[in-house]
Amino acid sequence: MQTPPEGNNAVPPLKSGTMDLSPASRDPMRLPAPFSLIIIVIVAALLLDLLPWGGIALITHPDFVLLALLYWAVHEPRTVGQGWGFALGLIMDVADSALLGQHAMVYVVAIFLAQLLRVRMLQLSVAEQALHIITILAISQGIGVLLNLAMGRDFPGFSILISLVLGALLWPIVNAIATIPRLRRRSSRVVG
Amino acid sequence: MSAFQEPFFTRGPSPLARLTFFTLIAIAIMIADHRFQALSFARMGIGAVLNPIEQALMLPGHAFSRSMAYFSDQDRLLSENRELNQKILMLAAESQQSRLILAEKSYIDALGEAHPRFAGNGLIAEVIRDARNPYARKIIINKGLTQGVTAGSAVIAGDGVVGQVTAVGVASSEVTLSTEKDQAVPVMVVRNGLRAIAVGSGRDGTIEMPSLPLGSDIQTGDQVVTSGIDGTYPPGLAVAIVSQVEKNPAFPFARIVAQPVAAVSHQRFVKVMLKDPTQIYPRPDVGLEDKKPARDITSTGKSPAQNANAARREQRRAAP
Repeated sequence: MQTPPEGNNAVPPLKSGTMDLSPASRDPMRLPAPFSLIIIVIVAALLLDLLPWGGIALITHPDFVLLALLYWAVHEPRTVGQGWGFALGLIMDVADSALLGQHAMVYVVAIFLAQLLRVRMLQLSVAEQALHIITILAISQGIGVLLNLAMGRDFPGFSILISLVLGALLWPIVNAIATIPRLRRRSSRVVG
Repeated sequence: MSAFQEPFFTRGPSPLARLTFFTLIAIAIMIADHRFQALSFARMGIGAVLNPIEQALMLPGHAFSRSMAYFSDQDRLLSENRELNQKILMLAAESQQSRLILAEKSYIDALGEAHPRFAGNGLIAEVIRDARNPYARKIIINKGLTQGVTAGSAVIAGDGVVGQVTAVGVASSEVTLSTEKDQAVPVMVVRNGLRAIAVGSGRDGTIEMPSLPLGSDIQTGDQVVTSGIDGTYPPGLAVAIVSQVEKNPAFPFARIVAQPVAAVSHQRFVKVMLKDPTQIYPRPDVGLEDKKPARDITSTGKSPAQNANAARREQRRAAP
């Protein structure tokens, strides 16, 4: 799903005598996300994370909850913020039998980075956004690894980097899933 | 609120302030969890909600593998059955003997004042899944608080020690495998009774014995079993077989690597050793002259130092 960049919407050339008031891109007409959609996307991501991952998939699967949180932190900053990251992080800590607070810290830092970058990201295409996402994922995963090393655990191997790439590849899909329900039908009304 | 309507005035604390706030709380929680194991209730609460969901998510996979097994496994079942029957015959003689030995032991126990530390029958639990944590070696079993599992209980399988319960949920528990880094089991060498502590290396599923001096009598192939002096693991359970002994005079201790006997990460059913609450036996550091029943470390959650202090206080109170 390629949504056109949101910032530089080309203004359609005015025909003499007529004026098309409908927007060139239907993207700016995106509806605000209903709270239910936010919850549905995050719960779906949580369910994916709760699947019994094991073996190599355990190390390489992307963090779906973090991706969903990042999407909403970028697109609905007034609703989803660091508090959500903290709460879901605690849930993930229990689910993954990790040290309590570990995911919470990682998610909070990731959402903070998303808050810093969101205005810039919204100017860009989804593919370019994915590059920002992989950076955010890399920094947050680095923190997670450092926390585990500080507790005396061993580095699980460089295959954890695959999860970053998969996360970035997943970003357009998350985008599509969370954006399409919010697109307003383009009205057929043309003034003229 | 649409992404395009930036608020004119920011409300509430800045993102950086929030980040600082949440990070500090997260660090505090981590310290509380890591150093003091203070948050098991929060863990249990969240886990109670998550566990049914996880179980439900595993149903499709289970159903699939079960249906596959239904179609494919006739031969395997037959051969397995034959093997098991042979095993039963082989074990029958030993079990007769062990019954005799147990009877003798209980007679001797009744003469002396030793108490059996474990309830006779443990609890059979099924391994639900591995923990989803690439850093830790843990498994989740399907018995929890409601079945009487307590944190600290030893977990064994048919062929030896698997690990120890480290977190208890409502109907499931988390077992840390004996190969997890810093997971310690008090052991002894079968050949000569040499006592040591076996510690998981955290790497490639091996166990190390870091505290044996260079001169100690240990060699590759030695069988290592639990010594039972900790009161957590019953004595005599197979733990590991020494696979590598490295005595480098540059270091005060020998480097000893052992392979765990039980396939610690490949069990389907395990046995949780329940402690018998009616059988409380004195700790060795209380002193033999006043046999005050002191509770043991794992059930109180106190550190050994705290326990020793408590014991000393009790002694002082008893002295005048």
